[in-house]
Amino acid sequence: MNKNLDSKILWKVWKHNAETKPDKDAIVLWFAGEEPFRWTFKNLYAKAEEYAYALRKNGIKKDEVVAIILKHNIEFYPIYMGISLAGAIPAVLAYPNPRLHPDKFRQGIEGMSKRSGLDWIVSERSLEEIIAPLVNHETSTIKGIQFALEWDLSEEKDPAIVSDIIETQNSIKSSDPFLLQHSSGTTGLQKPVLLSHKAVLDHVQNYAEAIHFSESDKVASWLPLYHDMGLIAAYHIPLAYGMTQIQIDTFEWVMIPSLLLEVVSKEKASLSWLPNFSYNLMADKIQDEDIEEIGDISLESWRMIINCSEPVRYESHKKFYERFSKYGLKKHVLATCYAMAETTYAVTQTEPGVDPAFIYADRNAMSAGKIVANSSIDNSRICVSSGKLVNGCEIKIVDDNRIPVGDDAIGEVVIKSVSMFDGYRNYPEKTAEAVQDGWYYSGDFGFKHNGNYYVIGRKKDVIIAAGNNIYPEDVEDTLSKVEGVIPGRVVAFGEYDEEIGSEQVSVIVETNISLRDDQKQLKMAILKAGMLMDVTIKKIYLVPARWLIKSSAGKPSRKANKERINNNENIEWV
Amino acid sequence: MGIIMISERLKATILKELKLDDYDIQDTMRADEVPGWDSLNHINVIIAVEKEYGVRFKNIEVLKLKCIGDLQKLVDSKAENKS
Repeated sequence: MNKNLDSKILWKVWKHNAETKPDKDAIVLWFAGEEPFRWTFKNLYAKAEEYAYALRKNGIKKDEVVAIILKHNIEFYPIYMGISLAGAIPAVLAYPNPRLHPDKFRQGIEGMSKRSGLDWIVSERSLEEIIAPLVNHETSTIKGIQFALEWDLSEEKDPAIVSDIIETQNSIKSSDPFLLQHSSGTTGLQKPVLLSHKAVLDHVQNYAEAIHFSESDKVASWLPLYHDMGLIAAYHIPLAYGMTQIQIDTFEWVMIPSLLLEVVSKEKASLSWLPNFSYNLMADKIQDEDIEEIGDISLESWRMIINCSEPVRYESHKKFYERFSKYGLKKHVLATCYAMAETTYAVTQTEPGVDPAFIYADRNAMSAGKIVANSSIDNSRICVSSGKLVNGCEIKIVDDNRIPVGDDAIGEVVIKSVSMFDGYRNYPEKTAEAVQDGWYYSGDFGFKHNGNYYVIGRKKDVIIAAGNNIYPEDVEDTLSKVEGVIPGRVVAFGEYDEEIGSEQVSVIVETNISLRDDQKQLKMAILKAGMLMDVTIKKIYLVPARWLIKSSAGKPSRKANKERINNNENIEWV
Repeated sequence: MGIIMISERLKATILKELKLDDYDIQDTMRADEVPGWDSLNHINVIIAVEKEYGVRFKNIEVLKLKCIGDLQKLVDSKAENKS
């Protein structure tokens, strides 16, 4: 038990860590080809206090929501903490990918802003041109952009501002909002999740017990901090618990996946959280020469690698272990968990040192909503368990009428947690849809078998491609505007790709264009439209007008039309 | 900086990896301007180019690439050192 967490206010915990382990590495930022930068707990907190002062001086007040849009940067971390120390609420937003059209980027922020009530954006000068129109917009809630990286923090402090900050800090209660997270999406479909100090700290405490944290653990991560797994598991948990975390730039990792192995080996990291696709990417794409370039590596320090955020695939774990065991990767380090932003993070977790349970679930029985274990893979789907309940969490599996079902029956996973969110901010209708009598309806399908929970799919149509949530509506709306596409006659869905270990985006598009050469041009226009919203469309199926089947709601049905494509139904052009 | 001609061989390798029939690839283009060449596919394109030319790029060399012209220059320098 980490007594330090009892204070129930995050910044008090950070302060305590700065006082009790001043010279210990808190955050190590790893840059390829450079010496890592090391924040000690003491220096990090001291810098955060300086930012808190500067933020307040620049007009940021208690309870205001401050979005951060910054690249991997050493100052990101004290700025984030400074926002909290100033009594405001930090929200990390994704840095715009160069392929994302500026209008689309702004549209996304505007959508968020409507719900979240974003008050300020902390960003860098190079994004000013893109972000400024958002601030100048008549209906915008955003008061201004703060270029915190340009601030001179050495100037003498005004005692009135200092005492104002202290007064604010003393007024903060553990039930007060601490951070705001957004689900993914690009056109305002994001749901803002507000978490209190208490929710986060209770979760750190409960999750620590589940995976046996110790202060000597070190977390290695390349996960983006606008995602709950990166923000809570790889950043807040070690920061609060007093562990060292090593952060790698997401873009550098995806270009050089061996960076994670280098970090684990050189920093002797013990914990990582990864989405399923990254097991395939590292096992398939890291060549022996990449590892030779690093030098002798040892992965013996890795005690848990936790697969989360995408459906867990047995084959992905197998190939990862087979590829890296010769570098000291120990057996039984591959773990799983089930988590979501609405419960702060983890709901279930496998036990340290124990392989996740798996079963050969009979496909026919699964179609009928039942789990029947086969003795071999024939006509089976391998389902990998996400473990047992984390303390403070409860799960029910329910049917379509929200009535609980027994073990080995498939239903929606419904959760209650001491670290539950307080509802979607300014979104009562979505909150009412998702939360009933204190239970959160996850929209995920799963079952319980022999005491373990398994998550096998989604009730919602959201596509999870390489750990990113993509809403089909976003893709469909965008493609409907492409010349040659019949407006409103598009469906987007995910198709599992064995090679990458994740879903890819596929679309079925109605068009009146029947000439082959013209269709090629249309496909290219569709690809480009996807690029501008930072979505790579893997497969495009062109179909003639009136090919798509409508659902009872009168819109083209994603499920039925995907099935038609998968059944290789004939497509006839007149 | 002068114009760097993107060779037909490099262009063909990139297009094949991205499963594109054709695309006008220019030296000043960034990877993300080519359909399908996203961050996840980047490593696949690099491996395909390494295989095609029988060369190996160092990690830091890959990170420093800003545009397709840089990739052409890197390929040329590696191929020259090889011969």
